[in-house]
Amino acid sequence: MMKKELGLCLLLVVISAITGGINPAFLSWVNLLNMANLIGLFGVFALGEGLVIITGGIDLSLGSMFALLGVVFVDLLTTYQIAWPLALLLVLMGGLALGGIQGFLITRLKMQPFIVTLCGLLIYRGAARYYTSDSTRGFGYGDEASTLSNIASGNVAGIPNTFIFLIILALILGVLLHRSVYGRWLYAVGKNEEAARFSGINTNVVIATAYIISGGLAAVSTVLFVFYTNSVSPSSFGNFYELYAIAAAVLGGCSLRGGEGSILGIVLGTALLQVLQNLVNILGIPNSLNFAVMGTVILIGVLADQQLQSRRRRQAALEGLARTAPRSTHSQGKQGASAHGAAALPTGTGDQA
Amino acid sequence: MVTPHAAGQPVLELKGIGKEFGAIRALHGVDLCIFPGEVVGLMGDNGAGKSTLVKIIAGNFPPSHGEIRFDGQAVHFARPIDARAVGIEVVYQDLALADNLTAAANVFLGRELKRKFGPLAFLDHKAMAARALELFGELRSETRPHDLVKQMSGGQRQAVAIARTRLSNAKLVMMDEPTAAISVRQVEQVLGLIHRLKEQGVAVMLISHRMPDVFAVCDRVVVMRRGEKRADKEIGDTSPEEVTSLITGAKEAA
Repeated sequence: MMKKELGLCLLLVVISAITGGINPAFLSWVNLLNMANLIGLFGVFALGEGLVIITGGIDLSLGSMFALLGVVFVDLLTTYQIAWPLALLLVLMGGLALGGIQGFLITRLKMQPFIVTLCGLLIYRGAARYYTSDSTRGFGYGDEASTLSNIASGNVAGIPNTFIFLIILALILGVLLHRSVYGRWLYAVGKNEEAARFSGINTNVVIATAYIISGGLAAVSTVLFVFYTNSVSPSSFGNFYELYAIAAAVLGGCSLRGGEGSILGIVLGTALLQVLQNLVNILGIPNSLNFAVMGTVILIGVLADQQLQSRRRRQAALEGLARTAPRSTHSQGKQGASAHGAAALPTGTGDQA
Repeated sequence: MVTPHAAGQPVLELKGIGKEFGAIRALHGVDLCIFPGEVVGLMGDNGAGKSTLVKIIAGNFPPSHGEIRFDGQAVHFARPIDARAVGIEVVYQDLALADNLTAAANVFLGRELKRKFGPLAFLDHKAMAARALELFGELRSETRPHDLVKQMSGGQRQAVAIARTRLSNAKLVMMDEPTAAISVRQVEQVLGLIHRLKEQGVAVMLISHRMPDVFAVCDRVVVMRRGEKRADKEIGDTSPEEVTSLITGAKEAA
């Protein structure tokens, strides 16, 4: 399992080294901090997307959620002059609620995640544009929420707070996913929901919780993005961002079939995507090729991973044969009558799964 | 061979079990006893009522008529979890394992052991692996707790599924076609596992289409046809030919 993350790390280092070699500006402190900020911004909601993908679902609504929650958030602070802790709380609740509705539709009403969240994408975007009559919302010259702004877009000893948030959230979710019972159930549900249900797991609650967490992290991201851009234009704010999250998760080792992936992988996937975007700028590759570069790298990455995995599986199968051959003849003595002669047959037939 | 009937009280006793789905009569007047440490083969053609009977015992739905007694107590199962609570486990053909998890994780799925740190509870990997190793040892299976299920053979997968039932100390294990779609050598392994369960006093109900397997491990064979029990014989008193004719209806009852 860790091999995948190690490979990603290596790829990240190699790409950075080559880019840094060509243009040393890439490795300058300013550029690195700028990238860290972007990794933080894009990593937070990618974590939620990753959890949803591990359940075997998908969340396409994130970008539109940013727009809807974003305009509401700015409006709460500027038009209604609500104290920022309350506004923050309301937006967080909003994100959790939207995730909850999607989770409800998917688990209770048995709708497909793709359709539910695609409709979410359309509905939230439409609602955001209607709510603002398609006009951009931003902060005036008063400092409506300077404290929160400082928290969301400030830095500690130069390190952007967004990056620190990402690390904290990744640690929390890492423990949740890899060390808790909930995480174990999430993997089980993602791979074989029926088996999980037969084991007495309430699969609906497990899946719905993943969408709720994703919605909550989308709300956190909304706040971070709002203070990054300082304004929200409802028709373009967060456009396609759900695809960045999906790309990061897939690049980080999540399988869209569910049941696979890790928090570290998702963070590394996000980092790799941001490095690629930065590299396009720094190396003077035409900006219009940005998406093409990203797509190519994901394609190659997933392909290489598949090839490596099938090679590893073949090797494991061979090792398995070498290992069980002497043992099975040995245990035959103990099993006596029940084993008959079957175990003494060439083991070639036995151990393929 | 000592007949297990001498052991006394049956672990499961069915009296006059019937089930109707609307106008369709799926089961009618089924009486059946299973004793601890006994392996009973349940045979019958498709649509004979085998699955309906198994689902009633497993608590998937209640019978329309009749009474289920478990360990001498009358029981009513509203949901499968009720049946599991008294000690009835079903090993499903292939759908009860999560491929992406280890053998130990599958054995403990839904019943994970936890270590508590204040309000937080973390998985206790070490304890689960140790207990799983013990269970595999009891079953004399070479399955290793840390191996992923997706890398396992059909026989090992069955061992994992059966180890699950040992974890809960089930008194009755129903196995649905455990030997379908696996290789000859692995069939031997699975039949060995059934022997282990029997040694430990667990009653086993084996639902199978494979006549040789039924005759290899079962003490008794029950034949269903058209929703009724047509035969219930000690394995020594019957033959594969007789069972076949009972299943097809060439012979009405025995």
